[in-house]
Amino acid sequence: MNPNDLLTVRNLNVSYGESKVLFDIAMDVRPGSVVACVGRNGAGKSTLLKSIAGFIKNVSGTVTCDGVSLLGVRAFDIAKMGIKYIPQDKKVFSDLTVRENLELGSYATKDYNWDQVTDYFPKLKQLMDRKAGFLSGGERQMLMVGRAILGRPKILLIDEPTEGLAPSIVAHLKDVFKEMSKKTALVIVEQNLPLVCAIAEKIYAIKEGRIITELVGERIVANICEGYL
Amino acid sequence: MIDTQLLISGVIFGLSIGSIFFLMAIGLSLCFGLMRIISLDQLLYYSVGAYITYTISVYSGNMWLGALGGLIVAGILSFAVERFIFLRIYERDIAFTMITSFGILIGGVGVIKAIWGLVPRPVPMPIMTQMSIMGTEIPVYRLIVVVIAALVYAGIWLFLNRTITGKAIRAGIENVEHVEGLGINVYRLFTITFIIAGTLSGLSGGLHAPLIMVDPQMGLEVMPFIFMVVIIGGLGSIKGTLISALIVGQVVSIGSLIYAPLAQMAPFAIMLLILLVKPTGLYGSKLLKR
Amino acid sequence: MLNIFRWWWGIGLAFILLVIIRVFLPLPFSNEIIIFSIYVMGCSFLLGRVGFISFGQPAYLATGAYATAFYLFYFGTNPYIGILIGIAAGIVMSLLVGPLFVRLRSDYFALVNLALAVIIFYMMQKVLAPITQGDNGLWFLTNMKSTPILDITKPKEFYIFAFLVGLAVWALYKYLDDTLYGACCLASKINEDKVDFLGYSNFKIRLLAFVIANTTTALAGSMYAIYLGFVSPEMTSAHRAADPVVVTILGGVGTLYGPLVGSVAYTGMKDLISNLIGNWELFIGFLLVFIMLAGEKGIWGSLEPRLKKVFSGKRA
Repeated sequence: MNPNDLLTVRNLNVSYGESKVLFDIAMDVRPGSVVACVGRNGAGKSTLLKSIAGFIKNVSGTVTCDGVSLLGVRAFDIAKMGIKYIPQDKKVFSDLTVRENLELGSYATKDYNWDQVTDYFPKLKQLMDRKAGFLSGGERQMLMVGRAILGRPKILLIDEPTEGLAPSIVAHLKDVFKEMSKKTALVIVEQNLPLVCAIAEKIYAIKEGRIITELVGERIVANICEGYL
Repeated sequence: MIDTQLLISGVIFGLSIGSIFFLMAIGLSLCFGLMRIISLDQLLYYSVGAYITYTISVYSGNMWLGALGGLIVAGILSFAVERFIFLRIYERDIAFTMITSFGILIGGVGVIKAIWGLVPRPVPMPIMTQMSIMGTEIPVYRLIVVVIAALVYAGIWLFLNRTITGKAIRAGIENVEHVEGLGINVYRLFTITFIIAGTLSGLSGGLHAPLIMVDPQMGLEVMPFIFMVVIIGGLGSIKGTLISALIVGQVVSIGSLIYAPLAQMAPFAIMLLILLVKPTGLYGSKLLKR
Repeated sequence: MLNIFRWWWGIGLAFILLVIIRVFLPLPFSNEIIIFSIYVMGCSFLLGRVGFISFGQPAYLATGAYATAFYLFYFGTNPYIGILIGIAAGIVMSLLVGPLFVRLRSDYFALVNLALAVIIFYMMQKVLAPITQGDNGLWFLTNMKSTPILDITKPKEFYIFAFLVGLAVWALYKYLDDTLYGACCLASKINEDKVDFLGYSNFKIRLLAFVIANTTTALAGSMYAIYLGFVSPEMTSAHRAADPVVVTILGGVGTLYGPLVGSVAYTGMKDLISNLIGNWELFIGFLLVFIMLAGEKGIWGSLEPRLKKVFSGKRA
């Protein structure tokens, strides 16, 4: 194990009841880097993120962040430690305003980094007092990311952030992720290979619950990645 | 037709009954909204609230002090029950929690019988004054009950809309998993909600005590009405609960003026009608067990 | 031949045990157990197979009981016809409310059923008091004429009758479990969307289950009426609503013999404990909570796998 790593995953096995979903996953995330997981639907990418974030009970192996084990820790405590998971469903609290949605992001830590959020997503500033239920898909995704970064997280686990969004918003998110990765490590599950290749430092290709390859450096090109999809 | 005097007193009577139903049903509704449990044991806290009110008002002669004591004891009791029982079973399905809470309810009624006996007890009305509204004599106590319920509604509204914890609870009613993902200890929210529910149930029992006789089965007697309120309003909706409590209160009171057995039958008929049109009640969402 | 034997031997064994109970324990106790377990069977089926928890079973019990009582009090003398009328009333009642109720989510279903039980209580106690004689109840023990072959007005022969009815009810439910319909019920409990995708109608499956279960309950009601010779609104009061649910849980949800085991245990404990301490509710309430916390399998549910092990070990 490299002491410089922020997040280390070793021998991670996950099962839903009888069926096993992930086999012996090993993964390292350096501080300030972007790590991407690619693979087909159902390969177990989302499960990997969820099990790191503490949402899945049946997990064995080791997951450590800064030397602290995350296995068996409750999901909200993991989030409190600065490991924020952004699910793919783009569900915001539609009955609450944008400001209230954001506020809840730092409920536990009471650390409100408003400037950062409005800096990345100026659009949210104008929408502050609108009910989140009236936002568009792109605005919801911005809100979800904004909600997570308000409390200065150490690691962001992002599940399919660009799925179903307009190209202009995807481009905006790409810039934000790139900018963000200077302070926060990102683990992104994504199908959009051009985006992944543009920002990721390391790519794990996952197939049928196993990591089949690890791409770094100049091998991160879209057509090589495609071979693993 | 019914003459105006009877009608006015009927409306006030309905308002006060509706207020008590509201205080009681709000707990059930909130617990369902956030934790997805049907907490039948709220009816136990209602009875406990009434009995504590009775005991304290016998010894101190002050019913208000009794109601205060009742809501405090009910709150403490609900906290204990939540800690020792519900905390272990939140993740089970709804039938499971419902049966467990029913067990708590009848077990608790057994304890009440053991402590206070089977004889119905009267609680004196603290204010005997009558007030004249448009030539009709109205007991002031009933008006005070309505005012208290209105204050509680305002308080709950402020809590849910103005405090961060309340906002987290509203968010949790929409999606508990996302709230958890934001680093919020949802079990603490559950505990807070459960205590609020239990306390309000205790308060409604205390306020109801002078209007009826306090007896061990009182929780089971009020149960169908509370159910109707919750079903008509839609589980999990505070606004729906308020509106349906007022409807049921009026139907019970005006119905009994027209033909006595209507008091029980009419709300039931209305409930069936509403379910026929909207199977989740007036404001109920399509939320399922998470 | 062997298959038929295998199919029947579980039920047979259970009922042989009942005969043994009859020999050693007083008659009222045995009668109570059989009727009670028929009563619980419907609730257990709804909860275990269709996933509907019903706190309103007393409503259907009272439907059957009062239908029988009305016939015997006002019109006829033959208890057998009384029972048939009770069953018919059960079918009519469940067809009346069923289409509305089974559309509801299981949480609303539970609440609405309990409300129905209370409404029927008020109807019998107050609204229909001129016909039902309110709290006094209807007494018709002397109205019943003796019947040829099996005279069910006598407790001893009633036991034989109840025994046969119980056997038939059990065979019916075991048969249901084996059919495609039983599988559909279970499927609709576990995942209703997928049942839709397979081309079955959730509504029809549930309605049929609702009618079957509540008709069974009504049958138990009319048997109570015949056996006791009177009915009163007390049988449908909210305090009794817990009984079938408690016994279902006690015996083990959805198991075939659960209701029987649960009824024996419940009736037995009720007799024992109410003799020792007067506070029956206190005990049963906390017992229920305890069983739920300990794993909700109930008595039969925890015994069954062990028994199977023992018997399959012997055969091999």
